[in-house]
Amino acid sequence: MHTTRFSARSLSRISIPRRYNSTAVEPPPAGGHLPSVATSEILRTTRDSALRTPGLAFADEDGSGPSRPIVGGRETRKMNTYQAVRDAMSIALSRDDSAVVFGEDVAFGGVFRCTMGLAEEFGKERVFNTPLTEQGIAGFGIGLALMGHTAIAEIQFADYIFPAFDQLVNEAAKIRYRSGGQYNVGGLTIRTPTMSVGHGGLYHSQSPEGFFMGASGLKVVIPRSPIQAKGLLLGSIRDPNPVIFMEPKILYRSAVEQVPVDDYELPLGKAEVLIPGSDLTLLTWGTPVYHCEAALHMLSSPSPSLEPLIPASLRSAKVELIDLRSILPWDVETVTESVKRTGRLVIVHEAGMTAGVGAEISAEVQKRCFLKLNAPVKRVTGW
Amino acid sequence: MIRFPSVSRRLSRNWVTRGLASAAGNLPNSKSPIVAKLNFFNSVQSEGLIPTFRVLDGTGKLIDGAELPEIDEKLSHKMYENMQLLPTLDNILYNVQRQGKISFYHGEEATIIGSAAALALDDEVLGQYREMGVLLWRGFGIDDVMAQCFGNEEDTSGKGRQMPVHFGSTKHHFHTISSPLATQIPQAAGVGYALRRAPNRRGRSIAACYFGEGAASEGDFHAGLLLASTIPSPTLYIARNNGFAISTPSTEQFYGDGIAARGPGYGIDTVRVDGNDVLAVLAAVREGRRRCLEQGRAVLIEAMSYRQVAFRYSERHHIDGGWWNAEAEEELKVRLKADVMKAFKRADSIKRAELGELFTDVYGGEEPWNIKEQREELTGLLRKYGEVWEPWRTELAKFKNNGQDLLKS
Repeated sequence: MHTTRFSARSLSRISIPRRYNSTAVEPPPAGGHLPSVATSEILRTTRDSALRTPGLAFADEDGSGPSRPIVGGRETRKMNTYQAVRDAMSIALSRDDSAVVFGEDVAFGGVFRCTMGLAEEFGKERVFNTPLTEQGIAGFGIGLALMGHTAIAEIQFADYIFPAFDQLVNEAAKIRYRSGGQYNVGGLTIRTPTMSVGHGGLYHSQSPEGFFMGASGLKVVIPRSPIQAKGLLLGSIRDPNPVIFMEPKILYRSAVEQVPVDDYELPLGKAEVLIPGSDLTLLTWGTPVYHCEAALHMLSSPSPSLEPLIPASLRSAKVELIDLRSILPWDVETVTESVKRTGRLVIVHEAGMTAGVGAEISAEVQKRCFLKLNAPVKRVTGW
Repeated sequence: MIRFPSVSRRLSRNWVTRGLASAAGNLPNSKSPIVAKLNFFNSVQSEGLIPTFRVLDGTGKLIDGAELPEIDEKLSHKMYENMQLLPTLDNILYNVQRQGKISFYHGEEATIIGSAAALALDDEVLGQYREMGVLLWRGFGIDDVMAQCFGNEEDTSGKGRQMPVHFGSTKHHFHTISSPLATQIPQAAGVGYALRRAPNRRGRSIAACYFGEGAASEGDFHAGLLLASTIPSPTLYIARNNGFAISTPSTEQFYGDGIAARGPGYGIDTVRVDGNDVLAVLAAVREGRRRCLEQGRAVLIEAMSYRQVAFRYSERHHIDGGWWNAEAEEELKVRLKADVMKAFKRADSIKRAELGELFTDVYGGEEPWNIKEQREELTGLLRKYGEVWEPWRTELAKFKNNGQDLLKS
């Protein structure tokens, strides 16, 4: 910022280019900014479009009636992702007396504000801090769930989930199977902020979903937006299996939608087609959903510097964009149906290439769609 | 864990002799001084080893200054019978393991029966793998034990999926055993918290968690005690210190004064007890349980034991109390051995659960496609090879219905 000796009146006549250096005013939010998210057409920013979210199932309606095209009556409220997550937990705590929320620093509201006000509203016995021990948090949650209680545990960053790996893979995933169905920990949900934020470095940016994909008995879910986060989190809490719910941290503040205020769920194990297409299937989840959307814009109308690199014939390509949403189990039907039509698959994920989720999906798709593929499955990933 | 009965019998007689030599005295290996008063502590004590609470001396008489815990004839008889049943099962299943009929086995008595008798029948138990005595105490039958060890279709613990001694029973409030050591320790803190939260169990039930002194080296030990002492939860931790973890003696497991020394680090009431004195264990666990409920917080009991087969302190008291006699003892041993042998023979001949159970119970609710497809893959292979390939045909015959549950689907 530069200062001048000019009076306020003279300033108004001179057009000094205004430069707003945000770091001089306030630091970037811990969750980061993702500008393209703010202008994304994928986000449902009107009440009308929000209430038409596909697959949305309100808790107070059963599915027996005919699906109504008229949405009428229901309220929505502008929420970002952390507010939507908080809303889901508030509903879970209100509806289920056995539900408790715990983890490091959750009592004051959480390092990403996901638990703001919950301790005040529901009391210290139900929303409480734990000591700093991820293996303890996971084990404690398993114990609660063994007794049929609803345990909503938070691991502060997905990068720190590894001490809990033994409890999650050797115990939580296997309890139902090893006890012949006598015991289960379906009441356990582990929430954890995931993916990159820009400044996170090695240890506040990881996407560890691939490490859990091989642990049958677990489910892994990754939402892309506030409406998705609330519905999928409520679905995860109520699912009869232990679920790891990974929340892309950069979206906590930057993704904003009109979120239905009522109790609703979205289905686990089901992908969602965001943009229909016919020439190529683009499959992703979490933060890269928005990078993919931006990429499709750049493909259809490239900037002057990119134009020479993108053949004109490709610019009219109709790309089908799919959000996988659930990593385990993953929606093989939706993906293969799409690839059989388009003949091409590109998988995008932040986690590294080697043995990531894309590897498993590639293997399965090439097996099922081999004769329909016009090109090998391509993975675009972190390095 | 492999046991060598003849070796441990020889060594234990030496240790027992040395123990008898001084009325109060010290424990054989650790040299912990024996005391007759039950004294829980929760902060770091002055110098010297943590003492060991004991009630009976080596001949089964009360040591100086000790008090008998409250115990009637019925309770005493039940304890005695279970303490006899355990080694009977022990010996037979140990030999069965040596013959390769089952894959795994071991056992321990006074600590387990003494503590089982002190717990309420519906206290939630999370064990390691040496706590079959708790299940027996609560009415889990010899047939159920054999079914799990042989993994046959009667195995209610786990449908034949786990290795032997991995028992579990919701009916008996005994959480299913898993092989990874110490994982039950933080889980027990969560179970305790659930008991605190449930209106019908708050102030009435505790979680009781058993583990060995080797398992206590795991990070889960620290995590569990930290949580149960801090949140807090009414969880009673019972550490069985028998001086060995497979081949590793305690001197190679830790440098500190056993597991009891760690209790004060968490600020929790702690006591060390002679794990071979069933009455001392009974008294200590009763008191530990009472404190656990009163405070709603973890309590730690370290039960010291050392391998011995022949001599149990409580036997003499039971006999001297006039409640027992030598004939009744012989009759009991013979009867129990016959019961166990009968159950063993029966279990050996029963088939395994249906082959399709390989794929059930992985998930609750709707079965995911990947599990379904794997079942179909096995079915396809069975159709192709099940009849014509002799090794597969023999193997299929071990399962109830010979795989027809899959082939007919």
